[in-house]
Amino acid sequence: MFFRKKDCIAMILAGGQGSRLMVLTENTAKPAVPFGGKYRLIDFPLSNCVNSGIDTVGIMTQYQPLQLNEYIGHGLPWGLNSANGGIHVLSPYSKSQNSEWYKGTANAIFQNISFIERYQPSNVLILSGDHIYKMDYSKMLSLHVKNEADCTIAVIEVPMAEASRFGIMNTDKTGRIKEFQEKPKNPKSNKASMGIYVFRWDVLKKYLIEDNEDPESSNDFGKNIIPKLIRDGHRLFAYDFEGYWKDVGTIESLWQSNMDILGEKPLLDMRSAKNRIYARNYAHPCSYIAPGAEIVNSYVAEGSTVYGKVCNSIISTGCIVEEGAEIHNSFIMPNAVIEKRSVIRYAIIGEDATVHANARIGDDPAFYAKKDWGIAVVGKDKVVEKNKVLLPKDIY
Amino acid sequence: MKAMGVIFSNIYDSALAQLTSMRTVASLPFGGRYRFIDFVLSNLSNSGIYNIGIITKYNYRSLMDHLGNLSDWDLNRKNESVLFLPPFVTGNTGVYKGKLEALHSAMNFIETSDHDYVIVCDSTVLCNVDFRAALRQHARSGCDVTILANREPFDPPKKHPLILKADKNNLVTDILIDTFVQPDSYVGLGMFIFNRKHLLEVLEETYAKGLVHLERDFLQRKLNENALTISVYPVKGVVLRNEDIRSYYANNMALMDKAVRDDLFNPDRPIYTKVRDEAPTYYGEGNSVKNSLIADGCKVNGTVENSVIFRGVSVEKDAAVVSSIVMQGARIGKGAHLECVILDKNVTVNDGTVLKGTPEHPVIIQKGETA
Repeated sequence: MFFRKKDCIAMILAGGQGSRLMVLTENTAKPAVPFGGKYRLIDFPLSNCVNSGIDTVGIMTQYQPLQLNEYIGHGLPWGLNSANGGIHVLSPYSKSQNSEWYKGTANAIFQNISFIERYQPSNVLILSGDHIYKMDYSKMLSLHVKNEADCTIAVIEVPMAEASRFGIMNTDKTGRIKEFQEKPKNPKSNKASMGIYVFRWDVLKKYLIEDNEDPESSNDFGKNIIPKLIRDGHRLFAYDFEGYWKDVGTIESLWQSNMDILGEKPLLDMRSAKNRIYARNYAHPCSYIAPGAEIVNSYVAEGSTVYGKVCNSIISTGCIVEEGAEIHNSFIMPNAVIEKRSVIRYAIIGEDATVHANARIGDDPAFYAKKDWGIAVVGKDKVVEKNKVLLPKDIY
Repeated sequence: MKAMGVIFSNIYDSALAQLTSMRTVASLPFGGRYRFIDFVLSNLSNSGIYNIGIITKYNYRSLMDHLGNLSDWDLNRKNESVLFLPPFVTGNTGVYKGKLEALHSAMNFIETSDHDYVIVCDSTVLCNVDFRAALRQHARSGCDVTILANREPFDPPKKHPLILKADKNNLVTDILIDTFVQPDSYVGLGMFIFNRKHLLEVLEETYAKGLVHLERDFLQRKLNENALTISVYPVKGVVLRNEDIRSYYANNMALMDKAVRDDLFNPDRPIYTKVRDEAPTYYGEGNSVKNSLIADGCKVNGTVENSVIFRGVSVEKDAAVVSSIVMQGARIGKGAHLECVILDKNVTVNDGTVLKGTPEHPVIIQKGETA
């Protein structure tokens, strides 16, 4: 087989279970979790790649990959069904020796060295499958080349008070990374790693092989590869990203990120034609808004029918909100049915879930002590019986 | 039982002339996100018919742009494909005088395939039909031709181009052209199943005789001569015929009825259209939406009632859109008021503009214009 050399290919880490999303990822991989009415988390890195001119993408899957693989298909929705390059789902496979699961982020790339080698890329872009942001990677790549860097890490400024939750980069005036602190107690800067890396492939390959031979290593980019590169005096630079970015690792952050697309001037603008996010489409007709419906500051996607009231919420494709039902400050995932007079507040309702009549799900944080309140969640395919009450923080 | 399809894209352009000056009737937008041709193409695709010719004569750029490589209809296939059949340049640039003449122009396409049957379709009649069932009935009947047809109400009396009378075995006994619905009669859907070899013979013969009108010059004449056996395949679901602006308007409004939507957009046989990757629609401050169909990618800050809103439309504050059809990309300025209006694609309605038509005579604003 003949492969043309690529300047840069992208590798997306999509193997995580996303256990903190609980019922939402019981039967599906985290990157397949719905977002924003018609998207899934994986649409963000995939669309960003396409919008940045990257046409070769490997997606490393491992946990419950069925739905994710189906969703990705041959990559047509993202224009990645290309003959030279395109999209590749990379599951762990058995080798003549040492068959194993992906043990860590670096190990997942290590196990796919032969895939990457086929394209002989100058640089490899490492991405996560569960971050919400719009980014033009080509700008980061230009900086990487200009700096003659071995590795460039995208960083975003976070509030100093929150800096201890992130991997923090300490840089000099030229942007060169001098020190990396993983979740530091006393952060020296507020430049947090976004988990987006560009590596010179020859350098990364060498370090992946060494890392694999080190039994003490946890085979992780943040914990092992990056600190070792810095220790060895390699050229690591930070790329300052300005814009919206969120790691949707928890129920709260997934909910918050969905709320962030609402408003006339939203934090994350899904409507702008710039860096558009693409998704697989399912031939739904238009949404139908009934005579008695009321919709305030909300998104309603195609194929949905709204008879009830929707406020500060996202109604995804193919949902039904029946008469007298009320949805406030919530994210309703695709094909969910909310029956008559059910009231949903501050909640996430999973894909294909049904909430029968007169249920009460979640509540307003104003009525609760901070420790007692949280987003209520109904899992994928779950059926909430009539008159059922789910309190804030309840996971069904 | 292999079948191929042939679709007429231009034949009824003149009936909807105000909306077809820049496009074929087949590419006329409908129902918030579709074009007429999406329905027949989806029906063919869902029925496993992938070898399809689209007969077209002029104005077909918008149609080609819409269909792209056909993958959105799952019709981008290896061994069978969708072919555009524009005329060879012969100096004859007029309208096809009839379907026989149009079909004759597609003879080469029909000749070179090896399918048993040809399904010949108009693009102006919208329904969700399973051609496989119709083909099975056609094969069982042993007839030369099967015409897909439905029952239409007898009252109020309404003229139709093709009325069929059939016996209880669905064998057609009489064909009437351009006349009123009669008791127990069927109304043709402009969808016909031919045996391919027979169709080729018919086209040779009728072309030699200078006959152009499929229904009158061939079906009716041959039936009256007892030289043709025709069966009718009754279609029970929703049928929306777009014969003029008035019916086009009424058919869009008919989609507010859940029963119509459930039948036409049967999830087991979806209607496909071009994917545009718009975000879902945002309902912002000041919006009030009642009894309306809204596509993706819109931003609604005004009032929308009893209307069909296509993709990427913006309805600004204090604007009101009532009983109207607003095609893709329109911007309705602040305080504008539209009632019984059809806005073609990419129309700008200036702030405060008032436009008022009636359901019988909706006001039409042409593509790209400013009102």
